[in-house]
Amino acid sequence: MNYSTLLRASAAVLPPHFSQSPSENYAITGRNLSFCITTKQGERFSILRNCSIWIPSGQLWMLLGPNGCGKSTLLKVLAGLLNPTDGSVYVKKPKSFVFQNPDHQVVMPTVEADVAFGLGKYDLSREEVKYRVTKALDAVGMPEYLHRPVQTLSGGQKQRVAIAGALAEACKVLLLDELTTFLDENDQLGVIRAVKNSLASTGDVTALWVTHRLEELEHADGAVYMEDGKVVMEGDPSTIFKFIKDQQASYMDQINC
Amino acid sequence: MYLGFLNFFNASPHFLRGQCPEYLSDELQLCNGLLSCSLRKSIPSLPPLRTPEIQCAVDSEGKRRGWKKWIPNIAFGADKVLRSIAGATSSPICQFIPSPTTFLHSVDPRIKLVWLLAFILLPARSHFYMRFGIVLYLALLSVWALPTNVWMDQLGRVILLSGILFIILALSADGAPPTVSIRTPPPAITGLPNIPSSFHGYKYLILKLGPLQITRKGLSVASTSACLTFTIFQSASLCLTTTTPEQLASALRWFMLPLKHIGVPVAEIILTLLLSLRFINLVFDEIRNVALGILSRRINWEQLTTMETIDVFIQYVRRIFSNIFSHAEQIAQAMIVRGFRGDSKNHKIHFLSDSAVGVPDIDKKPNPDSLVQYI
Repeated sequence: MNYSTLLRASAAVLPPHFSQSPSENYAITGRNLSFCITTKQGERFSILRNCSIWIPSGQLWMLLGPNGCGKSTLLKVLAGLLNPTDGSVYVKKPKSFVFQNPDHQVVMPTVEADVAFGLGKYDLSREEVKYRVTKALDAVGMPEYLHRPVQTLSGGQKQRVAIAGALAEACKVLLLDELTTFLDENDQLGVIRAVKNSLASTGDVTALWVTHRLEELEHADGAVYMEDGKVVMEGDPSTIFKFIKDQQASYMDQINC
Repeated sequence: MYLGFLNFFNASPHFLRGQCPEYLSDELQLCNGLLSCSLRKSIPSLPPLRTPEIQCAVDSEGKRRGWKKWIPNIAFGADKVLRSIAGATSSPICQFIPSPTTFLHSVDPRIKLVWLLAFILLPARSHFYMRFGIVLYLALLSVWALPTNVWMDQLGRVILLSGILFIILALSADGAPPTVSIRTPPPAITGLPNIPSSFHGYKYLILKLGPLQITRKGLSVASTSACLTFTIFQSASLCLTTTTPEQLASALRWFMLPLKHIGVPVAEIILTLLLSLRFINLVFDEIRNVALGILSRRINWEQLTTMETIDVFIQYVRRIFSNIFSHAEQIAQAMIVRGFRGDSKNHKIHFLSDSAVGVPDIDKKPNPDSLVQYI
């Protein structure tokens, strides 16, 4: 793939590089991000290569790309879980991260306690915590699951509990890593609505959502496409959708030829 | 590259013989056979096919000796073990049942903890009737408070366990003769008259069934042990099925709070307890999933030698540990992401569940200055 052509094609939608401080219009900015790991054999392996990303405040953006292209790594760098080898990151605080596997996110034995776990860092009254937990579980469609043991939930239900935990914290930035992997169509829509409602209710919440499902693009305000550790394209969802569909078509042509 | 390709097949004697290990699935065997045939055609210098036989296992007529069938075959056992693991539930026994809500759900968890302790101590030092009364009371309480399928399951297990214990102890506590002679000298030596037998029909030996005998001592030991086992297991089951882990942790914290003054890290202990309660399920899940993974490979266990079977099990245990450590790492990351910074005192655990008495919010409000910085 000719990356330089693609980058030139997407250059129009990229914001100008800031020199000192990030613009307030952007909730997430990553500039020239690189991330490398050293293998046991001593070889240096690049996962992110000079990635730049700008996500405007109050919007839901999708991050797409094939498996192993570095989407989750970029998300972890933005969350502060990994330190970039090179480049700079700015993400509005407080921020919340939801893992792809809910078993990694849900840390308490019952639903209620887990959703309330993230609120432990705030100085909140018992009533306030209860209100937030109930509201977050309502948002993901699980109000009656308050006292359920986590191990009795299905994968999709655990995922929604993980999302409720993030929503309860009322963060400015939500970093969501393949939330809908374990969900069926109904749950998928429910989760998208929950995130959209969260964004709409406050107006200044920003979400960056890693996904493989192209149909989710219709709910996004913008999208970023990655390939081989690089941000190949970013812009409005319809452009990204068309780009991916064209790629799929050319791939199918190659197979059939 | 060609040499490297040859070396790979040279290193695999099964491939050179045109066979593949029989424990591989049929599809693999087919592919392997085709591959080795085409390879053999293209490389004429390869030695002819040979099928080595273990001489000690073959008699003069070329038939296998009968003794081989007497060697225990662990293949069936291994398969059965893995199937039972894979088919087991990932939920531990006696987990919390949120509905239907009974009056036991609304009892304060601190009262339940005291109640548990009392039921452990009472049967050990009380009369037989008292012990039996507690057993009856707990059984009736379970039947009344729990859903039918739950109490039948719980009582069935506990009665079976207590029953086995009762029979074993009743028959064996006084069944074996003493290994050393009693220290009291017989009347023939002392010259004193023997202790008169009871005039009220007292019998030390209650029942004799051939070599087995039930004595008063045996009955006492058996009833005490069986009642104690029943009481502990059933009261704990009742407590666990009607109380959330968080409620139990909050009750335990309430009892442990005075120990804070002598330097006991109460907050750390409670958080560790809660994390452990969550982690236990992940461990069960992992054990089950890896077993499922092995079963799905369709291993023909009967073709594996004992050492190969053991090797599979070692790999199984290694994989479980590896996955569990990975889980632990991921959970630690999730806790960091969710604002936990390693100090249990500054990260408040909220116990929201209500109870009849109500657990007071005994946490000291964290100092805003010491609040962790959000990531």
